[in-house]
Amino acid sequence: MQPDPWADWQAFSALFTSAAPRATGAAPGPSPFAPFADLTERFNAAARAYFDGAANASAPAAAAAAARSFGDALRELFANIQLPWNLSGGADGSNAPPRFAMHSPALGASRELQLRAQRIAQAWRHIEEAQRRLQRIGADAVREAAASFTTRLAASPASAPSAEVLQKLYGTWIDCAEDAYSRAAHSEPFCSALAEYVNASSEWRKELQASVEHSAKLLDLPTRSEINTLTQRLVAVEHELRARHEVIRPKAATATGKRRRTQRKKPKT
Amino acid sequence: MTPGSSFGALAALAAATPGAAGCSEREVVWQSGKVKLFRYRPIARPAASAPLLIVYALVNRPYMMDLQEDRSLIRGLLNQGLDVYLIDWGYPDGADRFTTLADYIDDQLAGCVEWILRAHHLDDLNMLGVCQGGVLSLCFSALHPQRIKNLITMVTPVDFHSPADLLSKWARKIDVAALVGDGNVSGDVLNQLFLSLMPFRLTQQKYVDLLAGNPDRAAAENFMRVEQWIFDSPDQAGAAFREFVTWFYQENRLAQNRLEISGRNVDLRALRVPILNLIGKRDHLVPPAASLALRELVGSTDYTALEFDLGHIGMYISARAQHEVPASIAKWLAAR
Repeated sequence: MQPDPWADWQAFSALFTSAAPRATGAAPGPSPFAPFADLTERFNAAARAYFDGAANASAPAAAAAAARSFGDALRELFANIQLPWNLSGGADGSNAPPRFAMHSPALGASRELQLRAQRIAQAWRHIEEAQRRLQRIGADAVREAAASFTTRLAASPASAPSAEVLQKLYGTWIDCAEDAYSRAAHSEPFCSALAEYVNASSEWRKELQASVEHSAKLLDLPTRSEINTLTQRLVAVEHELRARHEVIRPKAATATGKRRRTQRKKPKT
Repeated sequence: MTPGSSFGALAALAAATPGAAGCSEREVVWQSGKVKLFRYRPIARPAASAPLLIVYALVNRPYMMDLQEDRSLIRGLLNQGLDVYLIDWGYPDGADRFTTLADYIDDQLAGCVEWILRAHHLDDLNMLGVCQGGVLSLCFSALHPQRIKNLITMVTPVDFHSPADLLSKWARKIDVAALVGDGNVSGDVLNQLFLSLMPFRLTQQKYVDLLAGNPDRAAAENFMRVEQWIFDSPDQAGAAFREFVTWFYQENRLAQNRLEISGRNVDLRALRVPILNLIGKRDHLVPPAASLALRELVGSTDYTALEFDLGHIGMYISARAQHEVPASIAKWLAAR
């Protein structure tokens, strides 16, 4: 019987999702490798379509179209790669705090509370804006990677499918993706958007902390600020003790000092 | 590649137990708060050299230096007959949020150095600073040059504004004081940041390659140990983190001779001891240019830079590093 590398690769991919729990006797459940299994299966499907398209293509243009389709599929596949600014969601506004009274003047007894709520909402809007910019830049990078991958593939079409060929194709795709991502990540727009995302997140957290502290005080609960004050006093006492110790220690060291300096050799050149 | 062998690979991975952190015998010889100073048990004929203190980074756990028997920089150094000490900074918690770089350098690192010098009745020792620990070592050595016999820096950034330094570019416009507030910085957040430097390789390819590579049990366990180390990231003491990012990444004070610790200028020109600078040519966290800048900044006339065709982590745990790095260090020390 002739070896069938394609079947081997598919069987291997299938194992990603199903084999691990059974192999160890662990309780059934989703494999930790499931995301990579899914990725591999979808990569395989795209590669299979490419090989089918290229095999049936009678003209160079058709082969190029098959390569372009492969690149487009990879672009879709990697569009939502796990990045910190993609994790927290909210780009659709679903996690945003209520935007009540955003533009109402803050008056009366609840003035401070309203202002804080407005600042929280404003910070959240800034987070969303920065997230959208980062995701746009990321999507552009993946599109650029797909174009680069297509160009490479068209320049030297892959041979018949085998596990090794597929893995090499996958490696080529990762190279293209990292190159494009690196260019984007070094760019000024990306660095600015990332800084705005982080800074807005810091602002949002600070206002939220202040809000929680306000509630804690109403219930006479200890707050982080109070604990910080105590910690800082303790740190100051420690520094004071250390400073006094430093005054004493050199004298003691001089009194008992019998240290020897290590011999230094002349380095060989 | 056959389905059967892959099945075995998955089983090996799932069964792999990373095991306890570190593999070489050691004992705690000094402790201050969460900081522990370890001394490793000799396993070879002692070399005629002063003790070697390894100063690891604050942002990861130091057991990467002693991951497993065949992937251990420390074991390699012990095999060369060196007397090895290691600082473990511990896991900072909320009570450590006001710990500053001065506390780390002038109190905790200085405390470790003092203990070793007293124990050995010496005036100076050899220091090996790794990554961020190399920066701490440079600061300490510049402030206390009489305590250092030879200084070795490994994958250590010095010029934080080199063109390939992505972390630095990302950090420039971030309001670090607002980010830190009065708290600590989560190790998980830093992990996400590090993964974001090369997301396609670090969150996708390495897992696919692992499974496609059909690892045996030993390879699977090695992978899982590294995986454990990568995600075992301590929270960072807020004050020290704020200082480090602001002074080094944003303002590049060390390279510009504008850094002060405890009110004293950290002048690298004061460093006249022999210096060995170990660099990973494929380091994506600390670009070679960031490390190579050291030569122009120090006062030492005995400066050696060794470049290895390795990445950041590969400098500690790759098979190639095991053969090359400890032997290079021992040979360099033996000549001084």
